[in-house]
Amino acid sequence: MSAFLRGYLSVLVFGFAAVAMVGAMLGAGRLLRPSRPQPQKYIAYESGVDPVGTGWSQSQVRYYIFALLFVMFDVEAVFIFPWAIRLEALGIFGLVEMLIFIVILALGLVYAWRKGVLRWV
Amino acid sequence: MLAATKVDVAVFGASAVIVLAGAIGVVISANPVHAALSLVMTLFGVAVLFVAQEAHFLAAVQVIVYAGAIVVLFLFVIMLLGVDRRENVAREELRGQRPIAFLLGIATIAEFVLLTRGTSWVTGAESVVGPASGPGANVETLARSLFTRYLLAFEITSVLLVIAVVGAVVLARRPPPERPEEPEPLAVPERLHTPQLDDAAPVPATEVPAP
Amino acid sequence: MHAVLAAAQTLKAPDLDYFALAPEIVLTAVLVGILLLDVFVDETRKYLVTQVAGLGLLVSLVPVVALAANGADRSMLGGAYVVDNFALLVKALFLATGYVVLLMSSDYIGEGDYYEGEYSFLLLSSLLGMMVMGSSRDLITIFVALELLSIPAYLLAGWRKRDLRSNEACLKYYLLGVLASAVMLYGMSLIFGATGSTVLRTIGREVGGSVGEEPIVTLGIFFIVVGFAFKVSAVPFHFWAPDTYEGAPTPVTAFLSVASKAAGFVALLQLVYIGFFGREEVWGPLFWVLAALTMTVGNLVALRQTNVVRMLAYSSVAQAGYILVPFAVAGSNPAANATAQTAALVYLLIYAAMNLGAFAIVMAVARKTRSAEISSYGGLFTYAPGLTLLMSVFLFSLAGIPPLAGWFAKLYIFESALDAGTAAAVTLAVVAGLNAVIALFYYSAVAKEMWMRPVPDGDTTPIPVPPALAAALAFTAIVVVAVGVYPQAFARLGDLAQLTLR
Repeated sequence: MSAFLRGYLSVLVFGFAAVAMVGAMLGAGRLLRPSRPQPQKYIAYESGVDPVGTGWSQSQVRYYIFALLFVMFDVEAVFIFPWAIRLEALGIFGLVEMLIFIVILALGLVYAWRKGVLRWV
Repeated sequence: MLAATKVDVAVFGASAVIVLAGAIGVVISANPVHAALSLVMTLFGVAVLFVAQEAHFLAAVQVIVYAGAIVVLFLFVIMLLGVDRRENVAREELRGQRPIAFLLGIATIAEFVLLTRGTSWVTGAESVVGPASGPGANVETLARSLFTRYLLAFEITSVLLVIAVVGAVVLARRPPPERPEEPEPLAVPERLHTPQLDDAAPVPATEVPAP
Repeated sequence: MHAVLAAAQTLKAPDLDYFALAPEIVLTAVLVGILLLDVFVDETRKYLVTQVAGLGLLVSLVPVVALAANGADRSMLGGAYVVDNFALLVKALFLATGYVVLLMSSDYIGEGDYYEGEYSFLLLSSLLGMMVMGSSRDLITIFVALELLSIPAYLLAGWRKRDLRSNEACLKYYLLGVLASAVMLYGMSLIFGATGSTVLRTIGREVGGSVGEEPIVTLGIFFIVVGFAFKVSAVPFHFWAPDTYEGAPTPVTAFLSVASKAAGFVALLQLVYIGFFGREEVWGPLFWVLAALTMTVGNLVALRQTNVVRMLAYSSVAQAGYILVPFAVAGSNPAANATAQTAALVYLLIYAAMNLGAFAIVMAVARKTRSAEISSYGGLFTYAPGLTLLMSVFLFSLAGIPPLAGWFAKLYIFESALDAGTAAAVTLAVVAGLNAVIALFYYSAVAKEMWMRPVPDGDTTPIPVPPALAAALAFTAIVVVAVGVYPQAFARLGDLAQLTLR
């Protein structure tokens, strides 16, 4: 087994430990608790209020912009990681190029903000 | 070239099964949300394959961006379109579409097998390049190529992302009303005081005020 | 710890030639400017954005001209980005096309219920992608440039949000476009895997050597060419084109059929002449089949159209077929390859002028008739003689009738095929010749409608042509006529802009 795979062995062990722990806790709960089924208990929990409609109903298109903004900054983060890890090595040049990148991206946010899509009306 | 060890083969086999099972799940799930979740499984499997090739950063990006962000975006779109409408996958839109697709798929596989057999260096063994040197060196190399050869591509990627935002705003935004509109009639919520959980009939989706 | 210490060395900044990058830098600055302007001016003054965008395009043209006057080839980023005569010529073409499209659209977008500021922003960002494409000599840069030029185009195709046809146009274009990108990217990954480089020059050396014999390379070249065949709407990958062209707003259609297509051909020229030149036996026959099919199917289907925009859509499919002819014969011998490059470039330049002109007329006529049916052109001569004359010029130029520019473009295509001299090349020239005859029928059908038929509804009030549209018409008409009368100047441009092989 190569050394790097051995490194990932701990990940595997950790994963098994997590599954075992959750299984043990839920299993213990199942053994200990009384079982009195009522239909009300099966309603989806929605902040303590009676739920409206089903959980599968159609959602607003406005959420989409938030999801897309999230993806955009997620991708930005991916580009920032390699730069941030070797910040000194990349020097001033790297800093300037990264600033250009981030400023242009920030324009997208300014645009979304000025168009009022960040406000829920 | 390094020979593939037993562990490598085991890792590859396990993740290949996960990838393929996820991919089949995407295709055969009738519920689009289940298909999207199967896609997450495939993407995780691919991330494991990346790890086996010592491309740790790529594996992390695969999980953060694809399994995290992109699939979330898929789920948003699926929820916007409304998951309560099931598609009848048994009906063929075009006659003979499936047999032709099946034949073309077989032909593609045959083509790949033929071509990869003719190419000596496609072995599926572990990467011989490995991590460049020391911890974090892959990312270091990546940063260097990002800021040298691919500098321009990197910078215009930012414009690409801004275009995505502008496009989403233009296509999804409702222009602000010129005058205050009449308040839209609120959908009367169906209070579920006595839910009938054994009722098999699907509950009609509550009408969301159309944008 | 050695490795870490070595890694801590400061990055040596790449030599950036800011003069060579000036057109792109200016255009990016303009992009940032118009986005901010759009965000901060109120609704009644959005026309400012369009004006600044137009001005910005002209300003970006200044460094292009300065670089051309300077004349030196500049290469940077390890050969990934090259500014040579080829790059400058196509950049000038893209900027000019963009300016004409902006002129055509300023009234159209201003009058309709559209997002004016975003329109200019997206148009210019697509142009930025095309400018980068002109200089990209590296697979990754080509791919990012392609996405940058395509994604705004997908959005622009769906600009009429409340029109179902426009939605259909956007969706079809988008879905087939990303499919093409995926196929192409797969091909690129195979080529990178085989050659170990993304720089076209290195790929060219490897592909010409023993690596080129690997079957994987064949598959890679095949996938990349097929991906670009989608982009340039070559048959059998053209399905999206007619519906997209018909549904998209007309100035966007003009932009797609000219600039977007030209960018696809520019990428193909670079890939084929620098990257894959050593494997002529792979792409030669592929382009032969694509060219023959594209010309024939495009022209035959165009014959049956009753809508001018759809007719022009199929005509632009057919025109792409003519441009593919030089690719099919390029590898035969050194002389043929030089003529072939010039032929493809010259055709692209002339095609841009005549097709933009034809679409500008369609827009002008639609301002009055609100229709793009060929029958609505009846008797155009009686109430709009100027437009009729110009439309005839553009149509006959597209058909390739002598004193007009399109004739010279076709002549060059035939010359490249005959220079190659092989049986396959001559056969292709014959196919192209037959197609030119077929094309004459549908172009002259529109001309006949305009000159000879009566006005369908008897309404003969003249058509008001706004000044911006008139300027676009004048510019394209002058190019079409001037090049037709004095073609040597244009051929000289094409000869100067040869891609250097190594």
